[in-house]
Amino acid sequence: MAEAGTSRVREAGGAPVTALRHRVRLGSVGAVGLALLAILVAAGALAPWIVPYDPEVTTGDPFEPPSRAHLLGTNDVGQDLLSELIYGVRISLTIGFLAAVVAISIGTVIGMVAGYFGGWVDAALMRLVDVVLVVPFLPLMLLLAAYLGPSFWNIILVIGILVWARPARVIRAQVLSLTSLDFIDAARALGASPGRILRRHVLPGVLSLSLAQFILAASNAILIEASLSFLGLGDPTAKSWGSTLYYAQVRSAFLSGTWKWWVLPPGLLITAAVLGFAFTGFALEETLNPRLRR
Amino acid sequence: MLWRFFAAKGVQYALVLLFAVTLNFALPRMMPGSPLVFLAGEDVGFMTEAQRAQLYSAFGLDRPVWRQYAIYLGNLARGDLGHSFQQGRPVVEIILSRLRWTVLLVGISLLLATLIGIAWGTAAAWRRGRPLDLASLGGAMLLESTPSFWLAMIFIAVFAAGRGWFPVFGAMTPGAGLSGPAWIFDVAWHLVLPLATLTLVTIPGMFLIMRYSLLTVLGEQYISTARSKGVAERRIMFRHAMRNALLPVSTVFMLNLGYIVSGATVIETVFSYPGLGRLLFEAVLARDYPVLQGTFFIVTVSVILANIAADLVYPLIDPRVRHAR
Amino acid sequence: MSLLIYLVVVSLLLPPANAQSSTVRLALTRDEGWLNPYTYQSGYPGWNIMTLVYDPLFYPDLNNEPIPWLVRDTRVSTDGRTWTLTLRPNIRWHDGRPLTSEDVKFTFEYAAKVTHSRWTPTTRNLDGVDAPNPQTVIFRLKQPDAGFRLRTLADVPILPKHVWEPVTTVAAARAFRNTVGSGPFRVEEVQDGQFYRLSANPQYFAGPVKVREVVLPIIRDATVSFTALQAGQIDANARTLSPELVAQFEKAAGIKVVRGAGFASTILQFNVEHPLLKDARLRRAIAGAINTTLMVRLLMLGYAVVGSPGYLHPDSPFYAQGLKFEGSKAKSVALLNEAGYLDRNRDGIREAQDGTPLQFTLLTLAGNPVRIRGAELIRTALKDVGIGVNIRVAEDAAIIDQVWPEFDVCKGRRFDMAVFGWSAPVMSRPTALVDLFHSNCQIGAINIGGYKNPQLDRLGEQLVVTVDPASQKQLAAEMQKIVAQDLPIHVLFYPDTIMAYRQSAYGRWAFQKGQGYVTKLSFVDPPK
Repeated sequence: MAEAGTSRVREAGGAPVTALRHRVRLGSVGAVGLALLAILVAAGALAPWIVPYDPEVTTGDPFEPPSRAHLLGTNDVGQDLLSELIYGVRISLTIGFLAAVVAISIGTVIGMVAGYFGGWVDAALMRLVDVVLVVPFLPLMLLLAAYLGPSFWNIILVIGILVWARPARVIRAQVLSLTSLDFIDAARALGASPGRILRRHVLPGVLSLSLAQFILAASNAILIEASLSFLGLGDPTAKSWGSTLYYAQVRSAFLSGTWKWWVLPPGLLITAAVLGFAFTGFALEETLNPRLRR
Repeated sequence: MLWRFFAAKGVQYALVLLFAVTLNFALPRMMPGSPLVFLAGEDVGFMTEAQRAQLYSAFGLDRPVWRQYAIYLGNLARGDLGHSFQQGRPVVEIILSRLRWTVLLVGISLLLATLIGIAWGTAAAWRRGRPLDLASLGGAMLLESTPSFWLAMIFIAVFAAGRGWFPVFGAMTPGAGLSGPAWIFDVAWHLVLPLATLTLVTIPGMFLIMRYSLLTVLGEQYISTARSKGVAERRIMFRHAMRNALLPVSTVFMLNLGYIVSGATVIETVFSYPGLGRLLFEAVLARDYPVLQGTFFIVTVSVILANIAADLVYPLIDPRVRHAR
Repeated sequence: MSLLIYLVVVSLLLPPANAQSSTVRLALTRDEGWLNPYTYQSGYPGWNIMTLVYDPLFYPDLNNEPIPWLVRDTRVSTDGRTWTLTLRPNIRWHDGRPLTSEDVKFTFEYAAKVTHSRWTPTTRNLDGVDAPNPQTVIFRLKQPDAGFRLRTLADVPILPKHVWEPVTTVAAARAFRNTVGSGPFRVEEVQDGQFYRLSANPQYFAGPVKVREVVLPIIRDATVSFTALQAGQIDANARTLSPELVAQFEKAAGIKVVRGAGFASTILQFNVEHPLLKDARLRRAIAGAINTTLMVRLLMLGYAVVGSPGYLHPDSPFYAQGLKFEGSKAKSVALLNEAGYLDRNRDGIREAQDGTPLQFTLLTLAGNPVRIRGAELIRTALKDVGIGVNIRVAEDAAIIDQVWPEFDVCKGRRFDMAVFGWSAPVMSRPTALVDLFHSNCQIGAINIGGYKNPQLDRLGEQLVVTVDPASQKQLAAEMQKIVAQDLPIHVLFYPDTIMAYRQSAYGRWAFQKGQGYVTKLSFVDPPK
């Protein structure tokens, strides 16, 4: 279902990607995505120098509306919201990045092993992929998040172990087309071990595809993190955009009118980050995925 | 050929089911913390050892884990999902009472989103490459990237808390005792905001698939042939292209049917809508094992059924697949 | 006969002299089962709502003093062990049968046999219950009990014997749907997860019920419940109003806000058995470094009372006058230096004499944002005096598993410090100090920090068998002084009880001290 971007990307498959192929110049889409990401990354990297206040310190009264001193007002304990959002770039992007690393590492290894060895190994691993793809995503995520408990690393782990299946499938297909090539046969004939062939010959062939999948997984992960944090299953002491929204929700932001500066900005930032990753990833996948090229 | 295909699918679904059922049983029990307070209430600290033991045995939690698993499987086979720890009600009863609200909300939104997505996707493909198409594409991607709970919060802030046009919580006015048209109106009035949110976030997926498959079909040989024969563009679009392009949309629609049951946890939570998704979330927080297991089971089964339906129907409606076999 | 019909018709047509409000919508915090004694869930507001349908023998008045309810007359023997109660005449169950002493006897025997966490423990001190005639009940106690009237007689709702007799197991009782009680309301409708509808019991023995119908919507989300109140979708809320909304609601048209002391507490719980935290000087230094006044201002916007070191709220009748915690950052630093906790390796964190760094894990519940923020403030404050804190936020069940494994203090504890809290009833009973601080895990059933002090134990054992209020106060005061000295817990603050309601819908709410207006007394006057 189209909820929180969790399973919807899975359902839609690569459709949006290939849809763009028709007459939309991919370069410009990718450029917009990259520009969005560059701005966010720069803001995150420069956070200590550009924030007006330390977001961990009470610098105003609780629930202050926007003013010259606090451009976006203050949160429930008098911390500057603008500074909190700028630091939030770090947490949200880091979680997106690391969760994608976990997912793509699992996905790449499984995809490569399945594609290279074929036979029952392939069959078994692909059944596993099927299982993960069919088990209802959000309920499983709720179960796992509640079981592991809310912490930075657990969130990464939960997202990572739930998002690897689609990349695994895409990478396996790529490996299948690679292994039919001559140089792999040659390496095999020369007595190279499977481990060596996978590392030296197959991995370079799938890396670029993994990169595209990685970026799509990151955009997914940012949305999932925000949803989990909002439901109170994230790490409430980390200043991510999701946790900013969580506090806004539990401290009555939409009743007291503070939502205009407390709820709108973090939501727009989440959308910008997700869109940035999505555009970049779609453009990359289009250029890199041989199956999408004719 | 066909039977092999279905045998493989059957094995796959059986595996999924077994996995879900086992996970279902194992995960809650691996969670830290005791369900005692939910069995007994807040003053549990004052109970003696014997009284605790009485409670544990009343709910079968004192048996060895493998026995509990066997009992669980046996009950499941008989369609008995047990009693809620929290409410004492049969889980089946709780799920059924929540199910109708979820089906109402998610079902209608899926229908609406599919229709809007088809229309919008066709319009964009019709004007492919033009400003309308590009704007549609950008809009769909933007909507796709928007967190659904955030959209829901904004809707509540503006239309419910702010303007007071719509109710803030629930699926109907509590205790109003309405019936007939008044009741229908009341339910519809409560449905508007959650439905709007859920539909909005479901549209982009449908739009993108419709547009993509139309463009793919339009690129195929027979369309070019028709075009070269001088068939009008409008006729090509609606007579030839759309018929084939609807196939992937209907597949996605059917797969999404399975998710009707899993509900829309986030949106149901924001709107306090008494559906299955929210029930699941509440059960997770309350460590209500039987409700958790029951809901997760129902959700998995419905997803599997939807997959099977899609597998069965697809060859029937797609002539290319039929001929290939 | 025709005259009778005429009178009935007229009485139906004319508004009654003592006007009855039509419908009141009061939001609950969660599902409360079937609203009978074995299925309601929460201590507050679940118990309070359940007592709209069922009656205990006594009932807490607005000052939390138990007043006779089903009972007309009470005699206590001089040794305090025999209580002879006379029931009021003409009390009937909702199904028309009379309520007799047999039902009372049955109820207490039932609670002893079919485990209920709240009542079964209180039956432990019962030697037996006799029903010599339909109006008279005799309770025989094993030993005198300071809390008998409040914790037993004013708490256990009387069950109809003819309904509950066949329900013999815990599992059956917890799935039992019958709601025939004797209270001012009957349960008319239960919509799972959505609402309850109760209607007034026209034959209620204590007099006319002030509201014809009470609708209880279940709203799990606090913010949503306040939004609904402001939007006019509900008339009252069982939740205490969030501080950030008080000013807004006080200004809102048609809404009235009532404020008063709150008996719930937010505390910093120490594990007193911890190798470092067993040192009372260290606990005092930690407490001193935390600015609770700032906490009240930041977290509660001033709508709370700064904690008293003896646990009891200054408005509690048992509060030891003049007890006050004196601490400051400077004092804490001095205390730490003096006790030999110095930063020997210059890493910003002090070490004990044996070199163990003063680095602690602070647990807090994920579901409670105010406490999470409190934990963050504690972390900042302690860093300032050279004590390191890692906050671990986890879901309620996971925290309980470490702080209070299986809700059994005898099972030990696995934590350093926790931001914790107790609900209002733990403040209003005189024996709370014994439950909280007695070293025997059977008696100090909620002594989750594992605190031990033989002197306090002795005072506590005396307190539980003391019936005279003046002596109770004296003993409680002495105990609080010991607690304030040893500081096994540090009370941060007591959030005020702030209740809001729509005046136009219903204005006769009765405010129970420290708890709020969800009480039977909001709907019916005490029997005369």
